[in-house]
Amino acid sequence: MIRAVCLLLFLWAGSVGTSTDDIVYYTDEGYAEFHSSVPLDTFTGKSDYLTGMIDLNSGEIDFFLDLETLKTGNNRRDRDMYRTLNVEEFPFAEFTGSLTSDFDSSTTSPQPVEAEGEFTVHGVTRDFTVEGRLQKLGDSLILEAEWIIDITDYDIEPPGILFYRVADEMDVKIEATLKERNRDEL
Amino acid sequence: MNSDNDTILYITPLKTTGGKIIGSLTGYILLATLFWVTSLPFAENAEAQIPRERAEVDEPVDNIFWASTNIGLRTVRAESAGSLNSTVKHTFGLVEGGIDSFFGLDDGANTRLGVEYGFTERFTAGLGRMTFRNVVDIHGQYNILRQTTTDSMPIELALYASTGIETLAGTGRSFSERLSYLSSLMVARKFNSLSVQLSPTLGAFNDVTEGNQDQFFGLGVSANYELNDRLALSAEYLPVLSESNLGTHNSFGVALNVDTGGHIFQMFFTGSQWHNEQYIMANNRDSFWEGELRFGFNIHRVFTLR
Repeated sequence: MIRAVCLLLFLWAGSVGTSTDDIVYYTDEGYAEFHSSVPLDTFTGKSDYLTGMIDLNSGEIDFFLDLETLKTGNNRRDRDMYRTLNVEEFPFAEFTGSLTSDFDSSTTSPQPVEAEGEFTVHGVTRDFTVEGRLQKLGDSLILEAEWIIDITDYDIEPPGILFYRVADEMDVKIEATLKERNRDEL
Repeated sequence: MNSDNDTILYITPLKTTGGKIIGSLTGYILLATLFWVTSLPFAENAEAQIPRERAEVDEPVDNIFWASTNIGLRTVRAESAGSLNSTVKHTFGLVEGGIDSFFGLDDGANTRLGVEYGFTERFTAGLGRMTFRNVVDIHGQYNILRQTTTDSMPIELALYASTGIETLAGTGRSFSERLSYLSSLMVARKFNSLSVQLSPTLGAFNDVTEGNQDQFFGLGVSANYELNDRLALSAEYLPVLSESNLGTHNSFGVALNVDTGGHIFQMFFTGSQWHNEQYIMANNRDSFWEGELRFGFNIHRVFTLR
């Protein structure tokens, strides 16, 4: 019995040490864009404030974007977009989940990956699966992903007074170079 | 990947082996495996790992004024790069005409149609045409300083220059005699909902009738107060500080600004029926404060071209 307890303590101590020393990949200056295309009114919103983390050991992925950093090149339209997204109450778009495909960090070529988790915007959370590409270069991890979001799935409805027309389905793209960081520093 | 079910699977066989398991090697291995599995970090998947904090963005302050002109005076607003702003301005006759002239609307309007394009985030240029004297103006604005959201730059400073060309036929005037000029250094700041702007302004005409001044110096004062996201009240005053033309008055006006989403509507009462500041300073013969005011409205619409 004593040997069993010692073994457990040893394993516990080992696991605690491993978690605190975990290296994850982090960025707070990733790129995110969405593209809305309807006849005569096509625009793209862009932000360089995508914040996220990938833990290759556990497969955890956590990303969020302050929606008020999205700019479409027309500040009147931006104001209406923030109003529509209700950024005062729901300031972030978030994805939290985990890698569900293998990733070989020993090679430097881009690899297709898949992640599953939850995507939240406008206070609505839905299960979400996204495919992308991940590349390990030195101490960096380069992520690219695209998907299509239907804003009606997230109860996003432009107000009737809004003259700007937007598509229900929008193309979303993210690009980020994540750097090594200790998990404790997040 | 979720460990809850895994834990149950490991526990079940442990119990079925009875009390001998703790003392056996198999028991150690299974117990250790159980502990290792349950201590894996991905047992906490789907929980946010990064504290959610709003981004601190040091960028130009948005909407110091809602449109490129307040009522008649230019504002520091710079069009976004790649945006085309179109403007329609109407100023009607004197309200004191009463119902017979439908409070000035039957008297005809001085209309100015204009477009301007944001070549960069700081440089905007465009042209317009007003009904009175068929003046076509070509103008440019450069925003030298941008007020920023973090107050790293507390003011907006912009230089505006315009040339007016009177294209009215049959006047016998040469091209040079038809020209007028305007330059203005605009300094503004937005304090929460209130924006104020001072605009030292110099206007000049190449040719004037005898007895009239050919140069004017004025100090434009503009203010905008946002009632909410959709409505704002604004006012402007343009006193001529140099010698003014006989019978002219300083221009004053008040406006209600409405942001409909795609358009900005400015509905106002003002003394001057003129557009373009050099003409306002030189020709406004109506005094707002003596009841000589007129209704007008401006419509601004921005199209993003790239």
